[in-house]
Amino acid sequence: MNQPRILSRINQDEFFGRDAEVRDIVRQSSAFPDARTLVVMTTPDAGSSELLRQAYDQLFRRRGELVPIHFAFRRSDGTAVETAKRFFHTLLQQFVAYRRVNPALCKETLTFHDLLEVALPGDYELITNLIDGFHREQAVEKDLIDFCLSLPNRLLAEGRTVYPLIDCTKIGPFREDMVSGQHLLTELSQAELPFVVASLRRQANKLIHGAGDREWEANATLRVDHLSESSAQALLESLARRYGIELNQTTRDLIVQQLNASPLFITEFMRAARSTQTSLTSYLACQRLYVDELLGGSIKRHFDRILQTIVPAAQTNRTLLGVLYESAMSDTGRASLFAWKERLGLAAPEFEHVIDALHIYELVNSTAAFIEVNSQSHVWMDYLHAHYRVEVETEPRAKVVAMTLLEALKRAPQTMNQKYRREAAVGLPRLLPQFNCQSVPASLFHYDRFAAAYKGEDAAAIDEGLDAETDLIQLPQVIQTAACAFYAANMEGDRDRCVVAHAFDSAKYTDENQVVWVVAEIESKLEASRELTEDWCDRLASFARESGFARYRIWLIAPEGFSQPAAELLREREAFGSSRQQVQLIAARLRAETKVEKPKADEYEMIMPMGDDTELIAASTVEKIARRVNFKPEAVNQIKTALVEACINAAEHSLSPDRKIYQRFVVEDDRLVVIVASRGVLPARLSAENGQGVNGGQNGGKGRRGWGLKLIKTLMDEVEFEHVDDGTQLKMTKYIR
Amino acid sequence: MAETPGDNSIQTRSVGDAAIIYASDYLNKLSGERIERECRRQFDSGRRALIINFRDTELVNSIGVSILVGLIDAAEQNTARLIFSDVNSHTANLFEMLGLTRHVSVAANEDEALSWISAGDAVA
Repeated sequence: MNQPRILSRINQDEFFGRDAEVRDIVRQSSAFPDARTLVVMTTPDAGSSELLRQAYDQLFRRRGELVPIHFAFRRSDGTAVETAKRFFHTLLQQFVAYRRVNPALCKETLTFHDLLEVALPGDYELITNLIDGFHREQAVEKDLIDFCLSLPNRLLAEGRTVYPLIDCTKIGPFREDMVSGQHLLTELSQAELPFVVASLRRQANKLIHGAGDREWEANATLRVDHLSESSAQALLESLARRYGIELNQTTRDLIVQQLNASPLFITEFMRAARSTQTSLTSYLACQRLYVDELLGGSIKRHFDRILQTIVPAAQTNRTLLGVLYESAMSDTGRASLFAWKERLGLAAPEFEHVIDALHIYELVNSTAAFIEVNSQSHVWMDYLHAHYRVEVETEPRAKVVAMTLLEALKRAPQTMNQKYRREAAVGLPRLLPQFNCQSVPASLFHYDRFAAAYKGEDAAAIDEGLDAETDLIQLPQVIQTAACAFYAANMEGDRDRCVVAHAFDSAKYTDENQVVWVVAEIESKLEASRELTEDWCDRLASFARESGFARYRIWLIAPEGFSQPAAELLREREAFGSSRQQVQLIAARLRAETKVEKPKADEYEMIMPMGDDTELIAASTVEKIARRVNFKPEAVNQIKTALVEACINAAEHSLSPDRKIYQRFVVEDDRLVVIVASRGVLPARLSAENGQGVNGGQNGGKGRRGWGLKLIKTLMDEVEFEHVDDGTQLKMTKYIR
Repeated sequence: MAETPGDNSIQTRSVGDAAIIYASDYLNKLSGERIERECRRQFDSGRRALIINFRDTELVNSIGVSILVGLIDAAEQNTARLIFSDVNSHTANLFEMLGLTRHVSVAANEDEALSWISAGDAVA
């Protein structure tokens, strides 16, 4: 059942896709007396203002110890003193409303006299004093601002604790717009209260760190982006039901794609459908409404307002529109700052303001040298295109409407195709980071070998065969993945299907180990031919060279694998080739391996200091654990000795700053996994030893030292030596036999 | 056959021409160095037959083993006999793994070690 709304503008059951975020904000209030600050960093149009209002309503109803306060900066805020006064009044009114358990008081227009009338008797004196103080400070503007903004602190001093939720998403983009926000946030941070501040993600740092010597630190951040596809669909369906608008699945999906799952644009679009009584049952109906919104409705007003805020002068505004459009349409999609400055003809400080503001609103991405128009937002690009034609090219409006509608209709099937292809993709951006130095059977990366061994076999037989394979490939540790299109404009295409992954061959971060995997899903109904494979190999190799990748590995994925000549070509080029089935098997194996690392009930942890024979304590502990899981006495001794060696290695070689050894003992059904980690550096000698057998040394038992790792490898069934972020980790596995 | 505590509580005893040195429960760097010092003391005093008895030794680490390797070298240089005795099966396996048994004799117990010394067939 829906609770009555207090500050929120949407019913709770129609506020989709933000449950976790609301919970985080509500939970933050329980941090008191720790003064924890949560910064909500939001994409423009992601609905963070409503998120804060929804959180306020929940906090009000929960009746916690802290009094929730919601304050939103407005675009229309006047002077700093006016904003401060509004803050004072809002806070006092919401305080009284909460104390009276009367949510209606939050939204009524109440004077100070009214507030005193309705205040609880126990609060009367306090509120009287605060209002007197407010009147007393009127003479000096600065004193009044300080007095108003320090109200949370003053209430805290009187034993009344508030939990401010501050919405800064509507603060203007310029430095002077941010002064009041910075002042208030500094006051709140000094009050040592938990509070939440929502800000555009590209403005948040300026709000936090921009107040000179009064900067403060956020304790936690919450990132809010556009809705997930399913949440956006649910929102659209809910609005359609509420407004009585006919909609089908196809048009629903098209609208979600076209509006980038933005809750703001979706809501505005459906309101427009309601006011025009438009049934959204065909692409044509949807695109007609969209073009209307683009050229004369809420979408136009949204972008007009932003551009007029940035550049109020009409002529400069038009010039800016032209520069934006021409940059967007250029081959690279970007232009130099110098070229922009020349075109706009603005003085340096004003020009910097404009660029900063465009960047904050995510209309462009600016770096020190270049400006790139943000082409990720279909709505923004469509607005730019249409309004350039109307306002800069001065084309007849009717013609622009017609052309825009034709373009939108032609693009609709492509938009949906892209969605379907994205959904059908193997999900490279999620798969590659799971590699994490794990080993998988080599046949999974060589289609011809896989086909020869397993074609026609059932899943169980394939799994069994793969389990028995001894030729393994150690996958790299992938540090970062990105679409190839982000590196080179000529690689434009489905961004999830052509990916570049920066990696290290092992978890040792050296130049020699650095490698780039360039991975592409290619389309072919049958096994990919040699010609197609060669084309892709050439394309990706050329891309890798032009991107300056010193070492790279090409991995092609074709739905049905590769023909024999294509497989030969892949071998010649030292490239990998897999079918979709192989990729699914890789993903399953990586998931299975990852599970080993997950904390389980039968897991023990121990931290002990280095030296003073503390390895004996570790040995005694692991002995008890090993006995509990029925290892044979000889195996128990082997585990103990291996652990002693691992501890000695950690103590002797790691140059550990904290002189501590971190140990985990993980009991699995058929094995005991012992993980020994320490902070510090890994000596090259130890690294080189890794992989040698116990009898591999030259001295045949008369070498004086350096046996530790060899011994461990002999005593345990599996040993992995890894660099972690700040040190080394030795993972040793012993199977129960 | 007098029982004599050596430096830092290491236990030794003499049986005829041989000295028997008792290793502690954990053969690590510290206890290994104590054995090493005692062995060198014995060599310096002219002793040419040593038995290291591991009856109390439950755990051995690689540093301790490396010290034993040094002792094997020292025995060779001093043309002395060195025998390990009473080694438990786990430690014996470790010695085997690390190749020590190629350079030193391992007797089941002190009596066997002493008999090898009297027979003069111990490998020095």
